[in-house]
Amino acid sequence: MKKYLFIFKSEVMSDMQYVFNTFVGFIGYFILLFILFNLYSYLYTDSSEIINGYTMNQMIWYVIVTEILWTVLSGKRLCRKISNDVKSGNIAYNMNKPYSYIGYALFGYLGEIFIKAITYVVLAAIMGFIFLGSFPNLSIMSILAVLLTGVLATVISIMFIITIGLLSFYIEDSGPIYWVYSKLILVLGTIFPIEYFPIGVQKVLSYSPIYVVSYGPAKLFVDFSFDTFKNIFIYQLIYLLIAYLLASFIYKKGVKKLNVNGG
Amino acid sequence: MLMAVRNQFKVSLLSIKYAIMRELLNKVTFVTNIVFMILNNASFIIQWVVLFSIKDDFGGFGLKDVLILWGLSAMAYGFSRFFFKKAFSLSETINTGKLDSFLVQPKNVLLSAITTDVEPSALGDILYGYIILFIYGMNLKNFILLTIYGMTGGLVLTSISVILNSLSFWFSKTDVIADTGNSLMINFSTYPDGIFKGVVKLMLYTIVPVGIVVYIPIQVIIEFNIIKLSITILFTIFIVCLAFLVFNKGLKKYSSTNLMVARI
Repeated sequence: MKKYLFIFKSEVMSDMQYVFNTFVGFIGYFILLFILFNLYSYLYTDSSEIINGYTMNQMIWYVIVTEILWTVLSGKRLCRKISNDVKSGNIAYNMNKPYSYIGYALFGYLGEIFIKAITYVVLAAIMGFIFLGSFPNLSIMSILAVLLTGVLATVISIMFIITIGLLSFYIEDSGPIYWVYSKLILVLGTIFPIEYFPIGVQKVLSYSPIYVVSYGPAKLFVDFSFDTFKNIFIYQLIYLLIAYLLASFIYKKGVKKLNVNGG
Repeated sequence: MLMAVRNQFKVSLLSIKYAIMRELLNKVTFVTNIVFMILNNASFIIQWVVLFSIKDDFGGFGLKDVLILWGLSAMAYGFSRFFFKKAFSLSETINTGKLDSFLVQPKNVLLSAITTDVEPSALGDILYGYIILFIYGMNLKNFILLTIYGMTGGLVLTSISVILNSLSFWFSKTDVIADTGNSLMINFSTYPDGIFKGVVKLMLYTIVPVGIVVYIPIQVIIEFNIIKLSITILFTIFIVCLAFLVFNKGLKKYSSTNLMVARI
């Protein structure tokens, strides 16, 4: 574990050189939130109205949390990195090192987004307060529970994206698969909570990765209950195991097909 | 003068043609990129179906109007990314000294630099625009208007990118500013202007010209108006000229990094 923490730390140190980019990048997040704020202000005729179980304030806080998870992750960059490692043969340099490539990619990327995540959480909280004038009613314990599910959601997302990137062992470009995966997460779990969909779809979504990587932490933030937390946490552990096994399986099968010509 | 423009146009088209041929070396990936981009764009239909199940109209837009808004935005995006892909990473070209190889060519530096590569998936965006037009109501007038507006929108997006990326001639780390400017245009262009009010709405028709490249065109597609059509075309000419002006101004400040690279 020590070696992975070292990888994590190295990436955090390296990322600290680009703090300016993080702040400028937040403008993009702000614009997106501003548009959604306008959209939901238009959708709700008054702030006390409840649509599908959510007030306007809850809806805005919901998208603030899901958009943090979505924007901080920048999955496209990670998928391209893994895919390029496979296509360029760079992955061969990692194969003979005393660590697992998946662990290296996971902790390296967590390090890369660490500063960004903290910055976005702080700035988004300030922004949400300015927009809405209040925070959801949360205790210290529930805030910790939301943070825990948020971290787990990020780890699971990274594992899934690594898996998609590793598909480059079999297909020339795994990017298009990532586009569809990411847009499904965005449309079905980021812009709206699951409750916005018909009952039949809700059931499917509550067993899908969307429930653990996007909906879960945001739902807890706007409407916390210990039962929901327990449920989401257990699902996250199951999905973490599935994502790890899937990535390991594809990696182990894939490296047998790897053919690097010189370098 | 006209001859020079014609020659330059020919060279740019050849450059794009060779870039397409390069991408076609792997036909499966080329086609997959296009098909998945269409699916990617189509996924947003879900968002609007959900929203319209709650409310009947959004800022005067019905579901079909929102679809054509998406179609036009995708087309403009696709046009800019397919034909002028390198305009969106121009600051990297400038910062790494890769402009050197274009400076020695007896052709326009900006056009040569931005037409050296194509983005195959952007063809999916262009096709998506026409698919949406079929759903909206295909006729010759709409087809011509969508094509014109796809091109003007693409040229405006490219020009804004060139202007923002050209800041690299004067300042460092401007790529983030350029990316933010581009995402600003794209994000606003996929939502009806009726949901925005006051100063923001004014901004969308001035500083962030989404109104001129997307909202006005949608109004013209719904109800033809020659004056509104002219506004978009004149604005496109203006911003394209401005992009050339800013780039050429910046080019005078450019100094090579003596980077030795092979362009393959």
